[in-house]
Amino acid sequence: MRVNPAYWVAGAVLLILPAFASDFVLYQLFGWTFILGMIALSLMFLAGYGGMVSLAQMTVAGVAGYMVAIFGESAITDISQGWPWYVSIPLALLIAALFATATGWLADRTEGIYTIMITLAIAAAFFYFFNQNYVIFNGFSGFNGVLPPELFGVNWRDPIAFYYLTLFWAAAWYFGAIYVSRSPFGLALQGIRDNPRRMAALGYHVTAHKVAAYAVAAFPAAVGGILLTWQSAQISPGTAGIGPAIDILIVAVIGGIGHPVGAFIGAFIYVILKTFAIDLIVFVGLGSERFRLLIGLGFLAVVFWSPDGVLGLWEKLKRSRGLNPLLRKAGRRP
Amino acid sequence: MTRGAMPGDRAFSAGTANALELRGVTKTFGALSALVDVTITIGPGEKRAVLGSNGAGKTTLFNCITGDFLPSAGAIRFFGEDITSAPAHERIRRGLRRTYQISLLFAGLSVIDNVYLACKGVARGRFSLLRPSRREAVMESAEELVRTVRLEDSRDVKVSDLSYGQQRQLEIAMALSGAPRFILFDEPAAGLSPGERQDLVGILKGLPSHMGYIIIEHDMDVALQVSESVTMMHNGRIFKEGKPAEIEDDEEVQELYLGGGNA
Amino acid sequence: MRRFAENHPWWLAAIATAAAILLYLIFAIWPDWLVQMLGKKKVFLNALFNGITLGALYFLVASGFTLIFGLMRNVNLAHGSLYLLGAYIGYSVAGWTGYWLLAFPAAFLIVGLFGIVLQVFVFRRMERQDLRQTLVTIGISIVLADIMLWVFGGDFLNIIPPTWLSGPMETILVTGVKRSSGDLIYLKYPLIRIVIFLASVAIGVAMWTLLNRTRIGMLIRAGVDDREMLSATGVRIQLVFAGVFAFGAGLAGIAGVVGGTFQSIAPGEDVRFLLASLVVVIVGGMGSITGAALGAVLIGISEQFGSVYFPTYSVVVTFMIMVLVLAFRPQGLLGRS
Ligand SMILES: Nc1ncnc2c1ncn2[C@@H]1O[C@H](COP(=O)(O)OP(=O)(O)OP(=O)(O)O)[C@@H](O)[C@H]1O
Ligand SMILES: [Mg+2]
Repeated sequence: MRVNPAYWVAGAVLLILPAFASDFVLYQLFGWTFILGMIALSLMFLAGYGGMVSLAQMTVAGVAGYMVAIFGESAITDISQGWPWYVSIPLALLIAALFATATGWLADRTEGIYTIMITLAIAAAFFYFFNQNYVIFNGFSGFNGVLPPELFGVNWRDPIAFYYLTLFWAAAWYFGAIYVSRSPFGLALQGIRDNPRRMAALGYHVTAHKVAAYAVAAFPAAVGGILLTWQSAQISPGTAGIGPAIDILIVAVIGGIGHPVGAFIGAFIYVILKTFAIDLIVFVGLGSERFRLLIGLGFLAVVFWSPDGVLGLWEKLKRSRGLNPLLRKAGRRP
Repeated sequence: MTRGAMPGDRAFSAGTANALELRGVTKTFGALSALVDVTITIGPGEKRAVLGSNGAGKTTLFNCITGDFLPSAGAIRFFGEDITSAPAHERIRRGLRRTYQISLLFAGLSVIDNVYLACKGVARGRFSLLRPSRREAVMESAEELVRTVRLEDSRDVKVSDLSYGQQRQLEIAMALSGAPRFILFDEPAAGLSPGERQDLVGILKGLPSHMGYIIIEHDMDVALQVSESVTMMHNGRIFKEGKPAEIEDDEEVQELYLGGGNA
Repeated sequence: MRRFAENHPWWLAAIATAAAILLYLIFAIWPDWLVQMLGKKKVFLNALFNGITLGALYFLVASGFTLIFGLMRNVNLAHGSLYLLGAYIGYSVAGWTGYWLLAFPAAFLIVGLFGIVLQVFVFRRMERQDLRQTLVTIGISIVLADIMLWVFGGDFLNIIPPTWLSGPMETILVTGVKRSSGDLIYLKYPLIRIVIFLASVAIGVAMWTLLNRTRIGMLIRAGVDDREMLSATGVRIQLVFAGVFAFGAGLAGIAGVVGGTFQSIAPGEDVRFLLASLVVVIVGGMGSITGAALGAVLIGISEQFGSVYFPTYSVVVTFMIMVLVLAFRPQGLLGRS
């Protein structure tokens, strides 16, 4: 397989970045980019390969984060069980996957156009539920003091260690997604995206495949959720609120939903904007709280003019055609 | 409503279960009756042609058999099993295959991916997250099928870049995937050049004798070459059944169909 | 109706029993054991009526959403923003002019106009690209939310109803008996809520009549069933679309004024009412006005009862209704499959 030299350069730069980047760049900018990218990748997997736009992926991440706080250790000792990481983390992943599977099953009960609505409703319901429930989720304040285990004697919240930790998982999920896209499961998923009726006429159980896709896509989101919790050492309902759920969609769409790399490009743009745009907005003379206006307008511009996101602009430059679920016209009936 | 199969048909398949039995199958779309009380029996290994003018209900018949639509009334049996309301994928896994009149292919995937998907649909490991190796049995049979329909030179070409005739060939390959027991061909020759038609006839004639099929075909030449019996449809009803020679000579058929200028 | 009775006798029996119990709970003077079980009758009645009026408000918002979806298959995720926009417009107009009643036509017209702009510049340009439309409306809702926050600030605002509408009204419903005198105690209920409820019913009935009894309504319903047919009849389909969009948006605007009067206006209400609309139409059935009414009342009541009887799980109750409907009747209670 021929690999674009740009990938080698990008990979090399990312590997040696800690040699010259500051802690802030490593921990905040890149750590956050990789985490958001993973969660957006989970959406990209569903939307780009499967044609299912789920707004519940941030909630999946949130569930995993909460589970780590609940089964592992946190400052809320009344609730947290304090189990060792090799129990709490697999358990968190498992529960997040189960949650995602149930979500997928519900979202797929009706025709595709409902998916986005149902998943949004699910995301909102869980946001309010986390907020209201004190027995398990500790209500409004959530959990703080949720720290990664000192595995191999490393403090994983040290900027360089955290950078490599998130880089590792980002790369793992990125290559994983690319690998799976050519597996029977991934091919079938793309077939279902393009033509579910034909897939059924080839012997595939379309619903089962779609629901399974939710389960598979839960893993990058769940790992992202756990890392996100460790990054800020806390998780609260706001982590998985409606705003963040929509932000994940924005990230995936801005980057480009047709290829896994789009999730990370989108995440990088989002993080850069979120971090530096505030200065820019203030410089222009608006209040710093106008960040959402900027993001909203940017998102609108992308959806209006380049539904393939930044990747699409790039592709347009190369004048190659690709399959884009956003541009697919609905209602073609043979 | 339900009419029994004709005794003649029974004799044809004495001993084994019929490949396909339709009893009183009816399909309505709102006020339109696309199929009215259709009863057909097809013995094992039988090769049947279905003829009829545009809008006669032929494709709808296929859609009901494969489960793309559920019939409004009637029953369908496949090798003795009642599949009237079975989901489409169950029917396919039992050995039923079809091609589509308007190619329904995965335009963004390559030829081999399309055929591989078709083969994998009835094999184990549909949910596998591991990429297939070239030596995987399913992959080998996919390669074999690509060669059968002479698309080996376009193996890695994206389907959207194939010519029309090649797409029809690909449809055939996908219908032949995974040891089918019975195949429904919906106008496979439409739009093909004379040379391509001869290839198609070759492929159909080369199918093993136990593998029955129904072929919808407007081209009488092709239809009569590759079928042992013929069913004529008109306005959603079965209008005549018989051997190719009988149908060809039938006056009513001449008038209604061949005179209609659809061929 | 009769068909339903013939096909689902058990369902009919269950619904009838539930209705009988409900009527008993509303009209009877509660015996002690019932009070012990459920608490005061007054609390129950208040929760019930608050639920129904909340349902009326939800109906106003969701009916526009469902109509737009049913006819045009447009998922307008900016619908909650239309609600909030209507609320702020109503607030401003009522504040400037001093006339509460003027807030309604103003909100209806301006938000309706905005709806037309959306239809023409967004939905018409992206016809048949469902997902892209949906994404654009998400973007619009983000932008609108921030502009409204910018203009109106983040405080809680209230539209003040005129004095002749404020204050409670005595109803004919008995909540209990005075121990000392044996007199009946009647339920007092805010007049404004009663008026709003009646107005919503009137709007609902008017919409139903319009859809079922007039030519234009017939066209619209035909369009819901079969869009191709509607365009084939030579009707200026885009005109009908724009009209329905304006009407649905205008209703959301009116709902904003209503909500701003008996609840409050604040950032975030847009999301809340978008979600309410989603859940209502998922439960009631997409594209069905009657379904929206049923869903709205169901969700309104369950929310109120939830917050009175199981405060920590009120969201769960609403959510469970949605899950149950999706599981057993994915097309919605009154939706057609
Ligand atoms: N999904 C559908 N919805 C509504 N009507 C349909 C549908 N599919 C087919 N019909 C109608 O049913 C009738 C029979 O159509 P069908 O496609 O079965 O005909 P056919 O015999 O295959 O014709 P052709 O030779 O043109 O392929 C036609 O009048 C057609 O318009
Ligand atoms: Mg046909």
